[in-house]
Amino acid sequence: MGGSKNTKLVIDGKRVDGRTTDELRDIKIVTGVIPAADGSAFIEWGGNKILCGVYGPRECIPRHGASPYKATLKCRYMMSPFSSLEEHGRSGPSRRSTELSKVIREAFENVIILERFPNAQIEIYLDVLQADGGTRTASLTAATVALANAGIPMRDMVAAVAVGKADDILVLDLDKGEDNLGQSDMPVAMSMRDKKLLLIQMDGLLTREEIAEMLDMVENGCNKINTIQVDALRKHYENNGEDNFTW
Amino acid sequence: MEKKIVLPGEKIGDGMIRAHNTYFDGTATYAAVIGTINEEGRYIALETPYKPLVGDTVVGVVTDARHAGYSVDIRLPEEGFVPTRTIKVSLQLGDFVLCKIKSVNEVGDIDLGEVRRLPPGKIVSFPASKIPRLIGRKSSMIELLKEHSGGDIIVGNNVYVWISKGSDIPLMIETINMIKKKAHKSGLTDEISKFLQKVK
Repeated sequence: MGGSKNTKLVIDGKRVDGRTTDELRDIKIVTGVIPAADGSAFIEWGGNKILCGVYGPRECIPRHGASPYKATLKCRYMMSPFSSLEEHGRSGPSRRSTELSKVIREAFENVIILERFPNAQIEIYLDVLQADGGTRTASLTAATVALANAGIPMRDMVAAVAVGKADDILVLDLDKGEDNLGQSDMPVAMSMRDKKLLLIQMDGLLTREEIAEMLDMVENGCNKINTIQVDALRKHYENNGEDNFTW
Repeated sequence: MEKKIVLPGEKIGDGMIRAHNTYFDGTATYAAVIGTINEEGRYIALETPYKPLVGDTVVGVVTDARHAGYSVDIRLPEEGFVPTRTIKVSLQLGDFVLCKIKSVNEVGDIDLGEVRRLPPGKIVSFPASKIPRLIGRKSSMIELLKEHSGGDIIVGNNVYVWISKGSDIPLMIETINMIKKKAHKSGLTDEISKFLQKVK
């Protein structure tokens, strides 16, 4: 959140990477990439590469963490040591990865029908192989596909995208440069059927009017992301699990 | 006809529809897992964890001997329990057993009965939602596999499939994986039959 006066991030409605203000980066999702997991997905979202594996419902370990009323949801978001140039790419749990694991878990706790599996646990593992801004939203998008692939009952699909402000202009799907040098950043996750907000965080300053406008931008963006998620799943199940995916 | 694929949160119909893996929000019924709508308009889940029901026959592995009975892994969050007083055979750790589910309570504790010890062999897991394809119409597929295995195969209602020691285990695993991959295709029994004859 520098807001440096010398950098221009938006010139004539075009951003640094040539996108318009409400354009998403290229998103590619494949599912069923980890045969050993119950469900899995791999997402390439611009420069982000995230691998997601879902396990469960299975026995809750440690046992004192189990609830007789509903399943326990566990989520682990982790950046690989080689994922980006910055310091937060070091291995091991950090302040940042703990926060992201928590917000992703809480978003899914509202969507997964946990009451169907008492005393069990469901685990979501997210590994960021390459980071380029917006990994939490990309992680949420990938985890939804992996959960659907695992057959975990959900009330809804989740799509997420960040929206922010750079050079006093509202922009959708910020990349790393816009995130670091722009004025504001607001990642939002949305349930696709009833359009409920599952995650909303904000960095920087925004007015009420700007937030209202940004939420409209997010809704449009999420609808586009949801079509990509649906296509990935349809493709997987129509081709009998053969996606012709190579690493 | 191309089968329509339904995703979580997609509407199946107005009002309450009684079907597995769906939820009702007061006005309409929605799918909770990925599934298809068949010709009769019925929703069938494609991918779902095994839900234990009383009377199901399950294949399991003995994982623990406790003072009142045995714990049996049937690939569920909770292990099944076999009380010693209900069985005549004595079991050992690692034994494969075939048993029936006697009771399931609301927190998922499972009591097993009618225990039969299975001879040594191998257990492979198979997605619970695709078990009907492994058995086939009037158990045609499983009969075909038994014919070519040279031994015996038992499919539990849960995700475990037991293959006897005497049978051609690598070939059976390959065939089972093939069925797993092509579970959505029609005419699968013929295809598997051709494959097995070619191998011979």
